[in-house]
Amino acid sequence: MRIPALGLKRKQWEPLAFASPSMALIAFVIVFPLAYSFYLSFQNFDLSVGPEYEFVGAKNYAEALFRDERFMGSVWNTALLIAPSLILELLLGLGIALLLSRVLRGRPIITALLVIPSMVSPVMAAMAWRMMYGVKYGAINNLGRQLGILDVYFDWFSSPLVSIIAVVLVEVWHNTPFMMLVLLAGLQSIPTELYEAARADGAGPWQRFWSITLPLLKFTMAVGVMIRLIDLTKLFGLIFVLTYGGPGGSTETVAFTTYLMGFKDFRMSYAAALSYVIVGGVLLLTLVFMWIQRVRETRAAA
Amino acid sequence: MAIALERSAVGARRAKRHRVWQRVGHVMTYLGLFAALVFFLGPFFWIVTTSLKGNEDFFAFPPVWIPAEPSLKHYVALFTRSSGARYFMNSLVLSTLSMISALVVSLPTAYSIARWRFGGGLLSIFLLVLRMLPAIALIIPIYIVYKLLGITNNYLALIVIYTVLYIPFAVWLLVGFLRDFPVEIEEAAMIDGCSRLRALVQVVVPIIAPGMAVVALFAFIATWNEFLFAIVLTGIETKTMMVLVTSFTSGGTDMFYGEASASVVLGVLPAFAVAFMLQRYLVKGLALGGTKG
Repeated sequence: MRIPALGLKRKQWEPLAFASPSMALIAFVIVFPLAYSFYLSFQNFDLSVGPEYEFVGAKNYAEALFRDERFMGSVWNTALLIAPSLILELLLGLGIALLLSRVLRGRPIITALLVIPSMVSPVMAAMAWRMMYGVKYGAINNLGRQLGILDVYFDWFSSPLVSIIAVVLVEVWHNTPFMMLVLLAGLQSIPTELYEAARADGAGPWQRFWSITLPLLKFTMAVGVMIRLIDLTKLFGLIFVLTYGGPGGSTETVAFTTYLMGFKDFRMSYAAALSYVIVGGVLLLTLVFMWIQRVRETRAAA
Repeated sequence: MAIALERSAVGARRAKRHRVWQRVGHVMTYLGLFAALVFFLGPFFWIVTTSLKGNEDFFAFPPVWIPAEPSLKHYVALFTRSSGARYFMNSLVLSTLSMISALVVSLPTAYSIARWRFGGGLLSIFLLVLRMLPAIALIIPIYIVYKLLGITNNYLALIVIYTVLYIPFAVWLLVGFLRDFPVEIEEAAMIDGCSRLRALVQVVVPIIAPGMAVVALFAFIATWNEFLFAIVLTGIETKTMMVLVTSFTSGGTDMFYGEASASVVLGVLPAFAVAFMLQRYLVKGLALGGTKG
């Protein structure tokens, strides 16, 4: 069969025909909206004012980057939530992965059980924990009181610092299993001969960990951290349910601030600009991370 | 002789000490894993028991950890008073339909890439970009367009989005399964007069069905778990479980514990099922955001 009008032979049009449905859908639902949003970010479209808008140049971007203290604050908040979460997830994930790699019987079932928190949606994870943090009926206050550790009904979301700790704990609970899975896969790909050779040379467990496990696990760790870092910049559902950005905006993340800007204040153009600032930031972060990786690799090779 | 005896005695003592340490190491390993299990599964245990408690159990002190008379009345209340039945069905139907349409659209694309190297290496770059793209950047323009077209609060419009969000991941996994599939079998079918599409549907699909099931399960749970598009684009009729559960937070820190916990239990049910069914693929699936949508 030929399509004479286009002068294409079957060999040429068939691959395209097979791929076209999804290409078309991606064009309509992802590429076009992103382009439209980029266009909007240079206008002053505000649904709370009206449907008319005009070109304002880079004004939205200037506001986002230099004048908007709320957005700047949310960048800071996001960093404050990301740093401890990443460190804890990496350490805890590594610890559990090391334990799991020593288990011979029942590893699949224990792994499957440990992984469940990662499969749950952030909203459900946050809801379960919000109830656990509950002042009067929550499990944490009740357990604390029963064990005599707490003597009051503590409000876990009363101060910014405690709220951040509370959010980090939920995030660590939610995503450590992912880190654990990735690191476990990495551990299992290290050839056991290396350990046997080291043992024959008289290396103790610590030495084996520092000179075999850690160096060979570095790349896997970097990949895991990178994925979590990118995902953490999108932190939204967890915040929406746990704190709604409070107290006093201390847990407002960049994604959450952008959401409020768009769907509470209805400043669509400005929210579009914010979302592009986030995209740029994530891109920059990824490049810096990859650059550091490369520098360290070349240094290790030299 | 004496030296040899002494040596073997030292060796035996050393071996014994080694065995003792090994035993201790084993116990510590299992203790550590037990602690991890308590931390990671404890909240689920508490949520399930809470959803079965009577109202008076919430106030009790010392706290009731396991209700003496478990009852399903919070589930009944959730299904009737909070229209939970409707929203549970919404989640179920949306996830199922998005799963099917994502598979139907992705399979030919994956085939095109696996057999003809369609698009060269562009796909992997595109996948990476999509993986990094924050959903918040998409929801703003999509909301405006949907509002303009009047299709917010519409099942079909939501399914289209969920399908597309899932295409990159599905294509990526399916390409892997298709590359493992021997070309000769479908070529034989085509020599016998099958068209390529028919060969794909009638010969290839039945054989790679297990792989497709993996993709399908991830697609299902991704849609089930999705929140941002759901909260912006659904209305009274089209809400999903994820949106319903957030409505319980309006009661402040102490809310309707019964119904809230019942809705969490229903909301995490698929995650439990999938974690056990997809074990081998979990790393891949989670790394590519397979559960986040």
